[in-house]
Amino acid sequence: MTDTIPRRRIRKVLIANRGEIAVRILRGLREMGIRSAVIYSEPDRLGLPVLLADEAYPIGPAPSRESYLRGEAIVQLAKEIGADAIHPGYGFLSERAGFARLCRDAGVIFIGPSPEAIDAMGSKVESRRLMIAAGVPVVPGGQDPLPDLDSAHAAALAIGYPVMLKAAAGGGGKGMRMIPSEAELASSYRAARSEAAASFGDDSVYLEKFIVDPRHVEIQVMGDLHGRVVSLGERECSLQRRHQKVVEEAPSPVITPEIRRRMGEAAVKAASAVGYSNAGTCEFLFDRTGSFYFLEMNTRLQVEHPVTELVTGIDLVRTQVRVAEGEPLGSEFDDVHPRGHAIEVRLYAEDPFQRFAPSPGKIEILRWPDGPGVRVDSGVYEGSEISIHYDPMVAKLIVWAADREKALDRLERALAELRVEGIRTTAPLFRALLADPDFRSGNLDIGMLDRKLAAGDLKPPAEAELADLPLIAAALAHHERAHLTAAGPAEGAPARRSRWAGTARFEARRNASWT
Amino acid sequence: MDLIVRAGAREEKVKIRRDGDAGYEVTLGGRTYHVGVATARHGLHSLRSLLIEGAQHEVAVRHQGEGVYRVSTSQGSELVEVSDPLTALATQSRTGKGGRRQQTVKAYMPGRVVTLLAAEGEEVTAGQGVLVLEAMKMENEIRAEHGGTITKVHVQPGQAVDNGTPLFELE
Repeated sequence: MTDTIPRRRIRKVLIANRGEIAVRILRGLREMGIRSAVIYSEPDRLGLPVLLADEAYPIGPAPSRESYLRGEAIVQLAKEIGADAIHPGYGFLSERAGFARLCRDAGVIFIGPSPEAIDAMGSKVESRRLMIAAGVPVVPGGQDPLPDLDSAHAAALAIGYPVMLKAAAGGGGKGMRMIPSEAELASSYRAARSEAAASFGDDSVYLEKFIVDPRHVEIQVMGDLHGRVVSLGERECSLQRRHQKVVEEAPSPVITPEIRRRMGEAAVKAASAVGYSNAGTCEFLFDRTGSFYFLEMNTRLQVEHPVTELVTGIDLVRTQVRVAEGEPLGSEFDDVHPRGHAIEVRLYAEDPFQRFAPSPGKIEILRWPDGPGVRVDSGVYEGSEISIHYDPMVAKLIVWAADREKALDRLERALAELRVEGIRTTAPLFRALLADPDFRSGNLDIGMLDRKLAAGDLKPPAEAELADLPLIAAALAHHERAHLTAAGPAEGAPARRSRWAGTARFEARRNASWT
Repeated sequence: MDLIVRAGAREEKVKIRRDGDAGYEVTLGGRTYHVGVATARHGLHSLRSLLIEGAQHEVAVRHQGEGVYRVSTSQGSELVEVSDPLTALATQSRTGKGGRRQQTVKAYMPGRVVTLLAAEGEEVTAGQGVLVLEAMKMENEIRAEHGGTITKVHVQPGQAVDNGTPLFELE
């Protein structure tokens, strides 16, 4: 078969996103010498993406559906400004097959999979059917209703206890019953049916295997337009608060090279079954016996992609662009193994001490951590306003070290350097987690963080810091204020700008004249 | 200079004396500290380095209002109230209620007022919800920091508020 995929150079990309992921993408583009254009909503006029991009275009007012979700306007803009491609980032339009189709029809490259692949993976029922056909392990059980106790018995026996009884018309945890052993089946079956009838007006129920305290382990895949799909290894994302990932790492503390190989093969099978190209992620539940079950595929670049980049050395954004141009995956993708250990924590503008209440506002003071093995992917700077309109994630702090233990120590060091004032962030949560023996030892499951938070088990480590310190600091600040107003500047108040600042400004001007 | 400093349930008398060019001697609750202070960043939010007996402590201090400071250390942040004894005495005699001052409670983030849980003139206890503020699609109950009377409510349900908009007066 001859390869008929046309190669097309991408010279300009329109980024249909905002915040840290827009910044991440335009960093990749700049390194490749590709011109970047961004769109911005009214409150994002001074966002970091706009300040770093080559071109920026207004797309509408704050609400997403009047700005970042205006698919037709965005494709139209791409054509007007001569962009060869659109990168959707994550969220917003990234997993909308209709948008990918609009791009294709307009002759603009969508940096992502085909609309057909997005559609196939977007439907739970359809993707499950496809995965079973492709031989990818899924959570055992079925959506077939169980009309009587005998059929339930047979189904449970075939799946193996513990099992979960679910209402066919249910959702959101309602009408679900866990059955640990055969002894409880009869009574639970009757109760579940009458509960389903009462709650949903439909008493049909079905059975699924109950996975005890599973981990969330996902496989990063990359496919080119020539039919080749490779696995880039796993990410462990078990630490979640209300189904929202909070900490991600690679490799997983429990995945052996043998399991990695098998999960990788399953993920490649899953992606190949829908003709997948570009970056994607297959999510699996991983149980204590080492079995894993396909959950769903995210047909886009993930928030947590940097941990994979750090342990594989592969730039995922660059690869996305290259495969979108029609380039085949090269030999560096032949046999990818993780090296060292990477951990990412998501900094949200939320107050972990106030039940994670949102904390929008202006970032008054900001100092990112730095130094060996530290990467910060952020969409903000000192002076940025955190708007109430969008996702509260302001940055990702990612560390890399030779092994997990050292990566944890490095994360602790980096968090100690981080300084954010003006808004509250989830940083104290991570400092508390770093003191937790289960997190330290890698003993994780997807319910762990919610359980620990509910039980009040997570407390920031009480350092041997002076209990009187806040009082001393406030008293001195008050004292100095009184003196400042009474007797002119006190100690430390700058009479004029420092020489260093003046020199820096001079250097900046001089550099500007070189370009 | 003698000051009274309050943080949460703690209340301490503080004595501050100049100690050399860049330092102070701070006596607090019978303990004496030699404190060197330098400011890394000036402004409403200042970033300071305190050297106490050789140990370095980086502290962010935000001046919130008359005598009220939010102090952030590596252990978290808390509100600290500072007053000099003469002012405290004057406030006490004015309100006649054990030093409770009138407090203007302000929105700490932009959002929208959903409901009022207490009316003007109502007595509230510490921790009682006064109104519900919605921001980032989440509802947050704004509570009375101490017991007292709601002397004035500045906002109405449905009203959009900015960070710092006065919500109600608690006395």
